[in-house]
Amino acid sequence: MPQLRDSHTNDALSGSFLDASNGSFDRIFGIETEYGISVTGTERPCPAAEVARTMFQPVVSRSRSTNTYLHNGARLYLDVGSHPEYATAETRSPLDALKQDLAGEHIMIGLAQRAQEQLQRQHGPQARVHLFKNNVDASGQSFGCHENYLLRRQVSLDDVRRLLVPFLVTRQLFSGAGKVTRSGFELSQRADYLDEAVSSATTRSRPMVNTRDEPHANPELYRRLHVIVGDSNRSQTATWMKLATTHLVLCIIEEAVERGTLTPFEPYALIDPGKAIRAVSKDMSGHAAIDVVGSGDGGDSMHSSALSIQHAYLEAAQDFVTRHSNDKDMVLDNAGQVLELWGEALQSIEDGNWQSLSSWVDWAAKLRIINALKHRYSTLHAPGSAPSWAQLKMFDFEYHDIMNGHVFESMQAHHRIRSLIDARMIVDAVNNPPMNTRAHLRGRFIHAALAKDLSWSCDWTHLVATGEENHAEFEIMDPFMCESTPQFEKFIDAIS
Amino acid sequence: MPQEQQSKAQQTHAEEADLQSRQRENGNESHIDELDSVLDDIETSLSENAEEYVSRFVQKGGE
Repeated sequence: MPQLRDSHTNDALSGSFLDASNGSFDRIFGIETEYGISVTGTERPCPAAEVARTMFQPVVSRSRSTNTYLHNGARLYLDVGSHPEYATAETRSPLDALKQDLAGEHIMIGLAQRAQEQLQRQHGPQARVHLFKNNVDASGQSFGCHENYLLRRQVSLDDVRRLLVPFLVTRQLFSGAGKVTRSGFELSQRADYLDEAVSSATTRSRPMVNTRDEPHANPELYRRLHVIVGDSNRSQTATWMKLATTHLVLCIIEEAVERGTLTPFEPYALIDPGKAIRAVSKDMSGHAAIDVVGSGDGGDSMHSSALSIQHAYLEAAQDFVTRHSNDKDMVLDNAGQVLELWGEALQSIEDGNWQSLSSWVDWAAKLRIINALKHRYSTLHAPGSAPSWAQLKMFDFEYHDIMNGHVFESMQAHHRIRSLIDARMIVDAVNNPPMNTRAHLRGRFIHAALAKDLSWSCDWTHLVATGEENHAEFEIMDPFMCESTPQFEKFIDAIS
Repeated sequence: MPQEQQSKAQQTHAEEADLQSRQRENGNESHIDELDSVLDDIETSLSENAEEYVSRFVQKGGE
């Protein structure tokens, strides 16, 4: 695995870099979601590997592999541990990334429905396939939801550790998916599984930011920031806010590095990120003590809190958006709404009124219903009774079951959760790649290859027709490239 | 091209307005009723075999 170069020593990158692409703060976004699977209603347990194989039979029939790309530009595959995984196509905005991630849910449900029908023929009509968009199974094994952000190469890994990680550790106040544990409710699914801040491993140790150097773009200009600290969100608004706020923070860091100035985030570099993320996850008040380096000249560390740290990032983002108000659309669509929701979230937690966030913050939605459920048991059922541990844990899992779950679906049906994307937009994202990234060209290639029943392969940067008679290759290193070129048309003609 | 840029800007503004309207609509409605209807739905499913449901969800870690 290639090691990252220290970008500060790269003389080839002198001069301004913020306009290296098509817009000053333009960015590529992507989400990789791993799903958990299980089967109930059968006499004997069905191993996850068997269910996953059944789910992926149509994929293997189409591509002779459990690893393929789709005509909407996404990657669909079976990952380590029999986890179905969907990596969205490259997008240019958090909202587009959300649409593509929801397209992934839609596609996964289709595969699971077919698998359920097959299992019902083998095991009887009670068999149910469950597909969990969460991050921990019943035995405590964890799997991920990874965010990808194209980042200007001049931002060093040490910048990421000092300036971004404190934000990632504390954003769970509004992005955590919530988890029922035997020792109490936690804001985050992932906090207990992360130790280091930045590292190249994902399975042996679990860092918050993975440093594997696969930019899938010009490595002189960019790195791919691979954030693996986040939870899988069911709430559309939480997914959108998670990406949008992270984008704004990255813009601030990129601008400071470009200008050679300091960000206001320096005092908040964490002394122990692993300890900090677990403290934040167990604390609904936002006030748990977190050790940060501080700004004192004496070099003494100081106590801060998730709320204080988030307020510092929010204020910097407000200032940044104001300073760039003339080119706000280039920074982020709907930036005003993002800042407003972000501020509301912090204020609600500050006021001890986290319940008011239950219409879009996953952990708050879950905890509000758990509390209501406990209240109902103790008042309507036998006095003093309470839901069992298994019932609470089932509720937790059900919230994330996109196939046969009732919790989130009931909340949607009763308008308890804010939606941003409707069914029509999701179907559009299933059928069409984003038109403003290279995914558009990948989609055209896959469409043409499937129409002609060609042998083909591709990855994020390469398109290959592998037949002996019409072997042809095309490379797209620029993820922002979305317009066809004469060379691309020639390539498509050659395989058609 | 100017024409394309204008068209993209119009589309962006339309999407933004749509998004704002959708958020207002959902936000208002979500505060009207209590959680009883959601709890009714959930209790039905929780009365099934919770032990089996939980114990069946075991697989190796991923990533």
